[in-house]
Amino acid sequence: MGSLTVLDGGLFTTIQDGGREGFRKFGVPVSGVMDEEAYLSANKLVDNSKGSPVLECTLKGGKYRFDSRAVIAITGALMSPKINGNEVEVNTSVLVEKGSILELGFAKKGCRTYIAIQGRWNIKRVMGSYSTYTQGNFGGFEGRTLKKEDMLKWEDSSNVSDFKKSTLPKDQIPYYSSKITAEFVPGPEWNWLSKKEQEKFFSSSFNVNSKSNRMGIRLDSEEPVSINNPDMRSSGVIPGIIQLPPGGNPIILMKDGQTVGGYPRIGKILDVHLNRIAQLPPNGTIRFKKSEGF
Amino acid sequence: MESKSLLLNGISWSIFRMGERTWLLRPQIEEGVLEYIHKTTLLLEDSGVEELIDIIPAYDSLTVIFNSSDIDLKKKFSTLNTTVQGVKLQLLIHEVKVCYEVGLDWLEMEQKTRLTKEEIISIHSSKEYTIAMTGFLPGFIFLDGLDERIAASRKKTPRTSVPKGSVGIGGNQTGIYSLESPGGWQIIGKTPQSFFSVDENPPMQLKAGDKVKFIPVSKSEFVEMEKNNG
Repeated sequence: MGSLTVLDGGLFTTIQDGGREGFRKFGVPVSGVMDEEAYLSANKLVDNSKGSPVLECTLKGGKYRFDSRAVIAITGALMSPKINGNEVEVNTSVLVEKGSILELGFAKKGCRTYIAIQGRWNIKRVMGSYSTYTQGNFGGFEGRTLKKEDMLKWEDSSNVSDFKKSTLPKDQIPYYSSKITAEFVPGPEWNWLSKKEQEKFFSSSFNVNSKSNRMGIRLDSEEPVSINNPDMRSSGVIPGIIQLPPGGNPIILMKDGQTVGGYPRIGKILDVHLNRIAQLPPNGTIRFKKSEGF
Repeated sequence: MESKSLLLNGISWSIFRMGERTWLLRPQIEEGVLEYIHKTTLLLEDSGVEELIDIIPAYDSLTVIFNSSDIDLKKKFSTLNTTVQGVKLQLLIHEVKVCYEVGLDWLEMEQKTRLTKEEIISIHSSKEYTIAMTGFLPGFIFLDGLDERIAASRKKTPRTSVPKGSVGIGGNQTGIYSLESPGGWQIIGKTPQSFFSVDENPPMQLKAGDKVKFIPVSKSEFVEMEKNNG
């Protein structure tokens, strides 16, 4: 059995996987990793099966002691990871010796870092998924973010003894800009915006509010987009939906977002662009561009 | 261009593609919208359409989510229209015990409704409600059928934490917070019963379309029941 001890859980580190589907009619959000691309790469590098859990670190990674030898891979945001004080490569598989301390600092590029550990993690699935949903206090590690003295265990895989380095091809390593243009398809209530407000939505640059989290990316702009807000009855929403509350500052729903909402759904971000949005740091900026369809 | 509607469960639905693998359906009928949404949810759940992984019934819509973006919705649902007759709502009536004594917002409720606490309790507990939907948070139960005399607008500033089991009124709806969560409804009581458990499959025994009746209990009965729940 492999294991690690958390010395410092960082700002907001949770266990996530591909998400929890099939329970939305009970109000259970899908959860799962915010950046699917970085997640898939991390698991692939350590040769784990597709749905394996990973650690998702937000803005500041934390400190972890490996109590046994392990093969790991770090992808996503660049948090200057170090092992025993020495810089460690990202986007590649790394052999970590027993007793080593992995430390990740503040994100220099991007917002979320993923750590995959080779083997079968010894944690319980809740409703079919390893993902942590902190607001509901379930899934992952006791339904919460990791903190000092937590211990993660996994079943050793034999590959540790004949470790072969596996590296992500250069052209598959994304660049995380803090200024992005995201494509969206108009949502069910897009036409509630006047032509003038639709234009404003395209021409504005939106700032990522620091209150953003796994539930939603909250956006601010100099001139809010106003919408006639006829009484809307709550209706289904999914990650990627752009909601427009009466205040005029849009919210992009993310993986822990609610299952139904009562704000106009003016658009849906293309899933592929959602990975980049997940990597936007606070004060990052987004512009929107209309896509022809899914 | 394909027409933006389809036939399902004997009626016409408008369709809107809301995501790569998500469609929003709305019944094109005047009356009985909620009932059609609940019946059609059951129909779809029994349909055996493998790719269909999530259904979100709401007041005037049904959101269907597939496991692939490569779905021809009309084709997928075209054969289902024939099985309408077989679908009957399997209605359950759930009795929910409520201790109104421990409500948090009685002063505000009395002011807003101009009724006494006793009158509000009597009106609230005399009706049978329909579960309109569950969500936006795990296990939150939205009930349809509130008497308009006790409708009350939400609190100006939402609570950051509403205790698990709270029974509230928000506008013309009433509902139950199955888990502790933030919320802005007026809290008029608390149930000692638990409606959402992550360790059970399904996590809830109540479903959209079922009926709920509130049974008032005294504070001592409430405390006793809470104790027995561990």
